[in-house]
Amino acid sequence: MDVKKRIDELEEELEKELEKVKTQAELLNVKSRYLGKKAEISSFMKHMRDLPKEKRPAFGQAVNEGKERFASLIEKRQAFLKRRSIEKKLAKERVDVTLDAPDFRVGSRHIINQIVEEVEDLFIGMGYTIEEGPEIETDEMNFEKLNLPKDHPARDMQDSLYITEETLLRTHTSPVQVRTMLEYGGKKPVKMICPGKAYRRDDDDATHSHQFYQIEGLVVDESTTMADLKGTLLVLAKAMFGPERKIRLRPSYFPFTEPSAEVDVSCANCAGEGCNICKNTGYIEILGAGMVNDYVLAASGYDPEKYQGFAFGVGIERIAMLRYGIEDIRNFYTNDLRFLRQFKA
Amino acid sequence: MRVSCSWLKNYVSLDGITPEELAESLTLRSQEVEGVFPLAQGENLVIGEVLSVSPHEKADKLVVCEVDVKKKRLTIICGAPNVRQGQKVAVALPGATLAHGLRIEKTEIRGVVSEGMIASLTELGIDYKYHHEDGIHVLHHTAPAGEDAMAYLFFNDTVLDLDITPNRADLLSMIGVAHDVAAIFNRDVKIPKPKIVTAKMENPLTIETETKACKSYYGRVLDDVTIGESPRWMRSRLIAAGIRPINNVVDITNYVMLETGQPLHAFDYDKVGEERVLVREAKKGETFTTLDDEERKLEEGDILITNGKEPIALGGVMGGAETEVTEETTSILLESAAFDPRRIRRTSGRLGLKSESSLRFERGIDPAMTRYALDRAAALLAVYASTSIRDGIKYFDNHENKRSPIELSLEKLNRVLGSDFDTAHVQDVLQRLSFPFEEKDGIFVVDPPSRRQDINTYQDLIEEIGRLSDYNILPATLPTTVSRGGLTDYQRFKRRTRHILADLGFDETMTYALREKERVYDLAKDKEKEPVSLSKPLSRAHQTLVLTPLHGLFDVAAHNRARKTEAIHIYEIGKCYEEEGETEMLGILMCGSYRTHRWQKHAPTSFFTLKGIIESLADALRFSPLIFTSTTIGNYHPHQCAIIKAQGEEIGHIGKVHPEYADAHDLKDVHLAEIDLEKAYELGRERSAYTPVPKHPGMQRDIALLVDESINAEAIKRTARECAGEMLAAIHVFDLYEGDKLPKGKKSLAFRLRFEDAEKTLQADTTDKLVQEIVKALEEEHGAIQR
Ligand SMILES: [Zn+2]
Repeated sequence: MDVKKRIDELEEELEKELEKVKTQAELLNVKSRYLGKKAEISSFMKHMRDLPKEKRPAFGQAVNEGKERFASLIEKRQAFLKRRSIEKKLAKERVDVTLDAPDFRVGSRHIINQIVEEVEDLFIGMGYTIEEGPEIETDEMNFEKLNLPKDHPARDMQDSLYITEETLLRTHTSPVQVRTMLEYGGKKPVKMICPGKAYRRDDDDATHSHQFYQIEGLVVDESTTMADLKGTLLVLAKAMFGPERKIRLRPSYFPFTEPSAEVDVSCANCAGEGCNICKNTGYIEILGAGMVNDYVLAASGYDPEKYQGFAFGVGIERIAMLRYGIEDIRNFYTNDLRFLRQFKA
Repeated sequence: MRVSCSWLKNYVSLDGITPEELAESLTLRSQEVEGVFPLAQGENLVIGEVLSVSPHEKADKLVVCEVDVKKKRLTIICGAPNVRQGQKVAVALPGATLAHGLRIEKTEIRGVVSEGMIASLTELGIDYKYHHEDGIHVLHHTAPAGEDAMAYLFFNDTVLDLDITPNRADLLSMIGVAHDVAAIFNRDVKIPKPKIVTAKMENPLTIETETKACKSYYGRVLDDVTIGESPRWMRSRLIAAGIRPINNVVDITNYVMLETGQPLHAFDYDKVGEERVLVREAKKGETFTTLDDEERKLEEGDILITNGKEPIALGGVMGGAETEVTEETTSILLESAAFDPRRIRRTSGRLGLKSESSLRFERGIDPAMTRYALDRAAALLAVYASTSIRDGIKYFDNHENKRSPIELSLEKLNRVLGSDFDTAHVQDVLQRLSFPFEEKDGIFVVDPPSRRQDINTYQDLIEEIGRLSDYNILPATLPTTVSRGGLTDYQRFKRRTRHILADLGFDETMTYALREKERVYDLAKDKEKEPVSLSKPLSRAHQTLVLTPLHGLFDVAAHNRARKTEAIHIYEIGKCYEEEGETEMLGILMCGSYRTHRWQKHAPTSFFTLKGIIESLADALRFSPLIFTSTTIGNYHPHQCAIIKAQGEEIGHIGKVHPEYADAHDLKDVHLAEIDLEKAYELGRERSAYTPVPKHPGMQRDIALLVDESINAEAIKRTARECAGEMLAAIHVFDLYEGDKLPKGKKSLAFRLRFEDAEKTLQADTTDKLVQEIVKALEEEHGAIQR
């Protein structure tokens, strides 16, 4: 008998049978029939002793190789069956990837606070502290120490919300400047900004709000100049409205500063050419500023002979309105979520 | 202050300067010019004489006029009821453009061709408030037909609208504006010199004061007054300045006030009745009828001008009805006086009588102008009201004219401005301002002129020099002060709070602090807190300061729910405003599903969702652990509300809003929490050293307990912790069952316990022994039975 030939025949048979195998059980059955103790190939070894000695090794090798080939074929089929069963299972897990995901939206911080933080970080970077103070203030802190005595004509400019004769809702955050200077005791330089709410007797409409948000700044030292004020405000204007912006100072009047100036930023809409947003002037008014009045320094414990300083104040709503083209100041306080959620920090 | 350019030219040359350039320069170096506009609008207008007026055959309300415009006769259809034959009128010829873009063309109206239009003042852009004329404007009978009507009316003028700051009282006069223009453009100021030709009859007045609140009072008497119209040039200038022309006497007092800044008043001298002026303080309860025929109740501090017996004017505020100048007036007493600005401010404010005069008195007038203005007005009245002026001026003047010279060093100037000006530059600016000064070794000693009462300190001088040099030439530098900036720990804590909540999906709001008084306690926890209210509320909606940010948050939820927003999760750091002071509070509101899985099943937002948010926040910000204790608060759900404590101290509350209260605002399932941020920060733990991570895995055990309904989870946890000590790393409820299958009044709570040992691997039997001990302790303390 030609063993090699017979093994080849068996291999062919095995291949055909394996192709029909669909389950693990069938596979085991086939395996035992081709490789088990009763399998034909297992019986070949009995014939080996009938062979002459020199032929025995070749015969043995052929049988072993045959077994290995059979095992490999069975293994292949087994792997195939396993893969197919996993594929079937996964097919059942198909999803529609276009279905909606759960809502893990990050909330929006209020646009006013976003800008406040931006301004705070800008000034912290320049070595400023952030100061805060009460919103219910005394007439003394809100007006008198700021060179606004009771009969001062400039009190018309800021009609106030009084609680008693001597207390009111602060009309600006300037009393925080006074409080900080008093706290420092006139002894060391001041470099601060004070963000916060302020209140005026205004009827709410598109451009007026009885409650508003302000940031004021104050630097007091022996050689603080108006040029320093200009440079500082230029940094602020560029940070708020873009690196291309320029600023313009116009003479103005505030009882707490002298010289006083109103500060305009070049119109971002028309780049200073003139358009309806800037009323054809090329500039938009954004803040008031000046050199601290000696009266205010003295009233806050700083010797005007030695110290001088600058102060400025800016309305956050105004910055937001200009930056985003918001047309109505009431939007900030209505808190419609469809409004608030548009502003991503 | 509205400034007529053609008027301004009387005092300072504007050669080579367009109104726009003037506006720009004033804005950058003096005061903001808010607008530049023509006094009137109209081209191609000529003076015409109405030769005939005949009815239009096909239109009742129209007439057909023949108008002579010298070179031509025109047929013009007119609808004005006041057109008459023989009138001189302003005729807009075809091609003319009038105010509001009205274009005039030759047109046919019901079969008649009209070759132009007879204009009214309103059509020329002069507001009705300045003329009160309903029909066409009728010119004086001497108006030359065929000439340019706009030029004849002195309407070819440009007006600058200046926004005058309260310190610059001097700019409330044409002469004052001229001085600033002169300083900017380096030109001279010309001030007209009044020519007074007096009659023989002497001014008989005696003028005295009993009050120091009247600084000076100058009076003249004028006879033979002819009341009539003031000249056209004066009327157009008054209109440019925003004042309605009345008659020559009133107009001249107004004109001189606008020119000099000194308000004047004319009394009907015959009605004054006495040859005396006595200024005194009003008595409380005294009354006086002002020339608007209102009886005014006076207070102490008001200043009265009297004839020695009866009051004739409320000093600086308004004249009296009794002595008003009328058509019949023949003699006038002309007053030019100065009062204490604060008194005028108080009186005019209290009586609501703010006027051009009171404005100038309030801001403070130039004491050197008081006498000048009187003479200037007298001279104009002599010309334009044919008066004769009685000999002599009577007055008292208690002004202290001594003002101290101001010293300013060039060094200080440059140190404040950060500029590099030299002596010559400062000299040039001071000369332009006509400020007398001396300079020696860089020290300027300046004598401020009387017209500039606002210049008193070296800072005032720095401002003058700075503005006239233009602040925009200053360099842009940064302060040299070296300092450490940054947020305080508490400020960082607040910021973190806001950022964490935003990251957790909450939107931040900013609401009004002033709200309705009657709702102030609605969502506040403590009813003992004293709220703060305005003495004069803005409105009912804005009257009282809130006691909690939850007030605003709740209303924001209602607003958004009404706009169909489903999930509303919001927060705000606001304040609790009390009489005692202000405390910063965090308010959080949840309404609607949170982190919704839109198409799979999800649990609705509950008390525990918000509790979890608060616990996460407390953990991240180091003020955990928190203890929640049930409580009841006004408008909250009576059984879903708790006090929040950290380290045994109350820091806030949490709860579901009472369904009825929510429903009243069209809301449902609203959960609120409030945290006192200042307290939470104070109670927060310091950053501690780290604990090494246990080397060995821990053990986990579950126990189910049958307990009385009334026993809360926290009590069981506490007992377990006390019993197991540090080995018990965590304990959580993972199942709660209350139902029919259990004995009445009982519930089943299942806990998952995690045990850890830092040193060695936990053995199963050690763990089991520990669990047994815990179960025993729970049985003893809470009667719990392990299931
Ligand atoms: Zn623009």
